[in-house]
Amino acid sequence: MHDLNPTDVNKETDVTVDTRDDAKTTATSTTKAETTTKADAKAASKARRGKLFADLAPLIGLAVLAIAFVLVGTSSGTNMGYAVETLINQSVIIIIIATGAIFIFAMGSFDISLGASTLVAAMVAGLVHNATGSLWLMLGAAILTAVATSLISATLAAVFNLPVFVTTVAMLSVLGAVAAALVQTTGGAQIRIDRAFSREYDTLAVKLIVAAVFLALCVFLFNYTRLGRVEKLVGGNPMTAKLTGVSMKLTAIAAFGIAGLGVGLGAFLTVLRTPTLTVTSASDIGMNILVAMVFGGMVISGGPRSRIYAAIIGGISMALLNQTMSIMLQGMAGGAGIAQMVRAVLFLAVVWLAASGFRTKVLPR
Amino acid sequence: MRITRNAVAGTAATVGMTLALAACSSSAGTEASGSAAADGGDAVETVKMCALVSDVTSSEALAFRDYYTDYIASEFPVEFVYSDELTDAEAEKTAMEGFIANNCQAVISFASADRPTQLDMAEDAGIYYAVATGALSAEEYETFKDYEYYVGAIGPDAMTEFQAGYDMAQYFIGEGDTSFGIFGGGIPYYLEMHINRAAGMLTALAEDGTTSYGGATEMGDILGKIYADGTIKIQDFESDVYELTGYLETWDFDAAWQASMAEMIAADPDAILAVGTGNAILGSAVDGTDIQIGDIDAYTEDNLVAMENGTLGFLAGKFTSINGPIFAATLSAVQGEPYRTEDGSAFALSQGYWTATSAEEFQEIVDADNVESPVYDVDTLSPFVATGATYDEFADFVGKYTFADLVG
Repeated sequence: MHDLNPTDVNKETDVTVDTRDDAKTTATSTTKAETTTKADAKAASKARRGKLFADLAPLIGLAVLAIAFVLVGTSSGTNMGYAVETLINQSVIIIIIATGAIFIFAMGSFDISLGASTLVAAMVAGLVHNATGSLWLMLGAAILTAVATSLISATLAAVFNLPVFVTTVAMLSVLGAVAAALVQTTGGAQIRIDRAFSREYDTLAVKLIVAAVFLALCVFLFNYTRLGRVEKLVGGNPMTAKLTGVSMKLTAIAAFGIAGLGVGLGAFLTVLRTPTLTVTSASDIGMNILVAMVFGGMVISGGPRSRIYAAIIGGISMALLNQTMSIMLQGMAGGAGIAQMVRAVLFLAVVWLAASGFRTKVLPR
Repeated sequence: MRITRNAVAGTAATVGMTLALAACSSSAGTEASGSAAADGGDAVETVKMCALVSDVTSSEALAFRDYYTDYIASEFPVEFVYSDELTDAEAEKTAMEGFIANNCQAVISFASADRPTQLDMAEDAGIYYAVATGALSAEEYETFKDYEYYVGAIGPDAMTEFQAGYDMAQYFIGEGDTSFGIFGGGIPYYLEMHINRAAGMLTALAEDGTTSYGGATEMGDILGKIYADGTIKIQDFESDVYELTGYLETWDFDAAWQASMAEMIAADPDAILAVGTGNAILGSAVDGTDIQIGDIDAYTEDNLVAMENGTLGFLAGKFTSINGPIFAATLSAVQGEPYRTEDGSAFALSQGYWTATSAEEFQEIVDADNVESPVYDVDTLSPFVATGATYDEFADFVGKYTFADLVG
């Protein structure tokens, strides 16, 4: 099946008629066909426009938010140099974790435990650093913990044949308890790593290097390898994927492994950014990841329209929105509530725009 | 059409260029305006002062805020910008980043999840930083006392907190009470002020010869046991005279917590000694019983009502304008006259509570100090805002904080 195009229309209307009796009938049929094909072409054109708009909406949104941020910031005398640095600082962790999570979401799965997983990995990394003083061991501990946590969710789902979402709900609860237990090992209410150490490595350069390496890996895997194609196939039509011999369990495990790597790197940067960890640390990361992906144009149901760039676009868009709102609403009573409402309205608008481009009877290509 | 890599790269480049250009142009503008300010002038410049807060809903927090935004801002050339409710270190850091980007000239912090990071950020950004209604730990003070932009801290020190708990228990002992429940609040989170207050309560009870807590009768030993346990164990309380009938901690409000609270109330103690937020947490639960609450909180409308109806028997409270002196010191620093101790360090000054044990005393305090007519009013504070006052004069001013000192 394919969309109609102008060439098809010309072919169908270019009919030669030899007999007079048939001529009347044929003329009527031709008129009907012309009307139908014109309507189809119009509908197809409208659908294409809608799809184009839906595709470009996240980028347009990003550009509009960037312009709004610059206009609002400069007009209010904001220190834009520091504000841009802050923007990167606040968005890079979300972008890294969300980019890894796209492998899960592309399959049409959902991981609600990403925030808790980040917290536990960060706590383990902090404890390892406090015990060894090593940056590399701390990084390794964060990655190993996060990947292990992620794989437990995927393996449980595979073994018990449960929806992955269900196992991540269970993991959310377990990880919360683990975080509380980890904090108690310090004999206090927090895990704190050496201030001087975190200040040394909590730099833009470290963040950008970690982000660049991980994002390049994810783009490569998602767009240029069989793994990425399979993830999208599973999300688009699991039955077809199964019938073509795709191992659903291995695909899920691979997706969760990559997401775990992202969580681990995010946790590593979290410890450097916030050297004091409590059980409430990273509590809003899970929701921020979801919002960032949606802002970036990620289709929550996954499938072939999943885009690896969604997290980057969405993460930056969200940071721009937060910064702009923060500048506009500073000092205003109830500013936080207003900002939340604006975010909620934009969230719904983005989802509606993204969905509106795909209201078609034709399967996505 | 699909979003191609080229489209993404193009948009990213455009956005990046826009932001970079804005950042460069704004940096130049900021430097220029900074220079103009440094050149000086007779016009009084409004100082943008930002407040980090971890509580935006309690009546105490609202009273403090009203004092700054309604009274102080109308009497001094200052504009206040408040953060959202900050629940953890990451939220504090994000708020600090926002304050710095938005050109705050000073930060007054009521949030304590990660004060070292706050101090480092303020120092790096070259903006003044002060701690209100609190204090740095001794170790933190040694680390940060020489920071150029650290103004100092004014708030109850550990001994003041201990004394508040001690005085509360002594009051109820004096009333003839013998059975007590304890609300430990943030003890399991190792909230130092709550641990010190609870230690004060237990030390007061242990003055009776037959009473001890885990075998300890002295302040230091009791403190050590609470720190070691991370909680209070009522089974370790031994006495021939007093009885600990229940213990509740944290603010979980879940089913288990509710059950613990119900159990403590059902034990019908003479009084519940709360390390903080006692009336807010337990007030409605003890309503209609003979149980009285001892609390360390603030002089709020809710607490006045509770004291009038007999629910609240003892209150050691922060008065509305208690944060006046730290504001004066911070504004003085921004205007070029920071207070430093003899050895050039930032100050760490202690300030305690006002105590009320009856509705009449409570009303007297509220009448003497409120947002419209605070004890730390413009006339009281102005002599300490960039007027050449010495550190000793300022310390003496802060040290005279009692009701008798300020009201007479």
